Amino acid sequence: MLRDIFITPFVDMVEAPDFLMQVLWEGLVSGVLYALIALGFVLIFRSSRILNFAQGIMVVFAALTLVGLHAMGLPAWIAVAATLAVMFVLAVTIERVVLRPLVGQPDIILFMATIGITLFLIGLGETIFGGENKVMITGELGIPTGDTVLEPFGGLLILQHLDITVVLVAVALVGALLAFLNYTRMGRAIRALGDDHQAALSVGISLQTIWVLVWFIAGIIALVTGIAWGARAGVSFALEVIAYKALPVLMLGGLESITGAIVGGLMIGVLEKIFEIYWGQPLLGGNTEAWFAFVLALIVLLFRPQGLFGERIIERV
Amino acid sequence: MNHFTKLVAAAVLAGATGGAAVAQELFVPNLAYRTGPFAATGIPIMNGQADYFTMLNQRDGGIGGVPVNAEECETGYSTEKGVECYEKLKGEALVTQPWSTGITLQVLPKTNVDEIPIYGPGYGFSPMADGTTFKWAYNTPSGYWDAADMIVQYIEGQEGDLEGKKFAFLHLDHPFGKEPLPVLEQLAEEKGFELVPIPVGLNEMQNQSAQWLQIRRERPDYVIMWGWGAMNAGAITEAVKTKFPMENFIGVWWAGHDADLNLVGEEGAGYKSISWSFPNMDAPVMQDIKEYVVDEGLSQTNPEEMEGVFYGRGVVISAILGEAIRVAQDEYDTAEITPAQLRWGFENLDFSEERIAELGLDGMVPPFQTSCENHTGHSGGWMLEWDGEQFVKASDLLRPNVESYSDLIDSSAAEYAESNAPWPNNEECAATN
Repeated sequence: MLRDIFITPFVDMVEAPDFLMQVLWEGLVSGVLYALIALGFVLIFRSSRILNFAQGIMVVFAALTLVGLHAMGLPAWIAVAATLAVMFVLAVTIERVVLRPLVGQPDIILFMATIGITLFLIGLGETIFGGENKVMITGELGIPTGDTVLEPFGGLLILQHLDITVVLVAVALVGALLAFLNYTRMGRAIRALGDDHQAALSVGISLQTIWVLVWFIAGIIALVTGIAWGARAGVSFALEVIAYKALPVLMLGGLESITGAIVGGLMIGVLEKIFEIYWGQPLLGGNTEAWFAFVLALIVLLFRPQGLFGERIIERV
Repeated sequence: MNHFTKLVAAAVLAGATGGAAVAQELFVPNLAYRTGPFAATGIPIMNGQADYFTMLNQRDGGIGGVPVNAEECETGYSTEKGVECYEKLKGEALVTQPWSTGITLQVLPKTNVDEIPIYGPGYGFSPMADGTTFKWAYNTPSGYWDAADMIVQYIEGQEGDLEGKKFAFLHLDHPFGKEPLPVLEQLAEEKGFELVPIPVGLNEMQNQSAQWLQIRRERPDYVIMWGWGAMNAGAITEAVKTKFPMENFIGVWWAGHDADLNLVGEEGAGYKSISWSFPNMDAPVMQDIKEYVVDEGLSQTNPEEMEGVFYGRGVVISAILGEAIRVAQDEYDTAEITPAQLRWGFENLDFSEERIAELGLDGMVPPFQTSCENHTGHSGGWMLEWDGEQFVKASDLLRPNVESYSDLIDSSAAEYAESNAPWPNNEECAATN
């Protein structure tokens, strides 16, 4: 037994390095997607202290809108622009109808309001688009769908062009987001609001504008995530459950940290894949991805309750 | 109007309607799921089911002159919601259509008390086949153990000796996904093949890269899939991505949905699915549904869905239920049957070639019969193959070797009864066998 735990997995890794590379690549791709979802959570939490339960359904809603608009005859990239417009309208509506009346209410009330938004979007999405699985318009968007087969160490490594594109787009998106947050007036306003609500308001930063902005950015991230996941296995309401994968990422990386979301997502994506392949499947019957990330996050929380990159909040009683 | 006045008005209204003649109907509620992660596969089946009864109501005025009310109660495939629906509807329902193995297992013990038949066509708990133990449960026309046996039988027909072969069993980590394991394990022992179970968690349905990495490492000769909902699309796209030979990838009948294969199109050619139903747009029943329901704007379906495997299966499912109602009406000489009378109908079905033709189901379902001790019918099925555009028949009718696992049915049924004691067996049926 000890040999199976401490020796065999590493022997397997050395004996089949091409397979290990494939595992790492698949983990990296999953991690990038987890990080993207977590980013949506972090942005909203930083600016409003709301854990946005609706992030998962926003992914579904954005992807369904894109596919639905294209099915109605809009060219693919026009449909993308129209979907972004829909996400903007959604952000404005949420700010006006849900968030603004609840300013000053306890955080738990705002959290429950996002559960309400989730249920509303599920109903709205199903009414407009139906519950059927839909094909993502990958080809129409010009996203490559072939693969590149490499033979490292005489083995086999398959790199899907779609996955490569997803990684590159995610990196570009994160880069653009960081640049926006660090080098633009609005970006700095978002950060200021995250650092200290009262201070930010006292210097004239508009809470309403920032909330609309962060919900819209979360909508953009949701659309990119929806395209990436939808291209893998179709667009359906099942996509909503992938949002749950972001929760351990947030626990691990910290709710306020963009760096934490990225590092946490990548760590969980890669580590859960390695654990599943080399320990979970041979020793535990598989499907360890269902719980591994949470256990990892809980272990981290034992030593750093604020997560790896979260802020340490000390409150005096 | 104050509270008291409302109560008085309600009482007067109730008295008035109580005295008037109330329209009778055959209430056959459906615990449907048109929402949630499994909606993509649920919707076409529910549409087929609903449209068949709408067609009977439009064409014949119902069954035996009594309209059918096939009201749906939405479960989202959630076991908890399914049980709530059951409790809400059982007062008037002739039958329970639980639509999930999880819900079936929850409702099964209640049937002996409530005395309402459970109808789980092609799903549910496989030992329900044993009518001497499960007096109120029917998984007609074929069960999961039949499916597992027929898939192995088909592979044996292709490969010859299965000794030393390796089969990966990719399944949803859910009661449904684990259902065929006892028979597959028994067959593995008998025929000498290795079985590698690979579970897929509900949150991993859309991202099965770990499962398909395992399949790449294990190098199985075949992958047998017990998938449902979004899991099927996830698995099929991963199979294409990892270049697994699609002709060696076989799913159960719930993993044979046209829309899932449309995601990969030509690249999915060769993928197979065992099925006890087959879509046939030329069948008279489909023509009648088109004429009386679709063309009249009474359906939620669309032309593409209507030609698919799942819509056709929904039609067959309702046709079997409708036939059970008709058989009971004939036996008891009443159009307004009770759940107990419908139970008799379910166990006296005779879907002969002749009767299938009379019902207009030509080529859509294999012949089968039920009896008080055989609640499944073990109809068998066809191996369907995706040709890049649609499913076509890839085999003649396969029949399960029920004898080879009848002991397993008996022992599992007995085990279930023992663990749910006191469990009332069908003594009357047992005495006649």
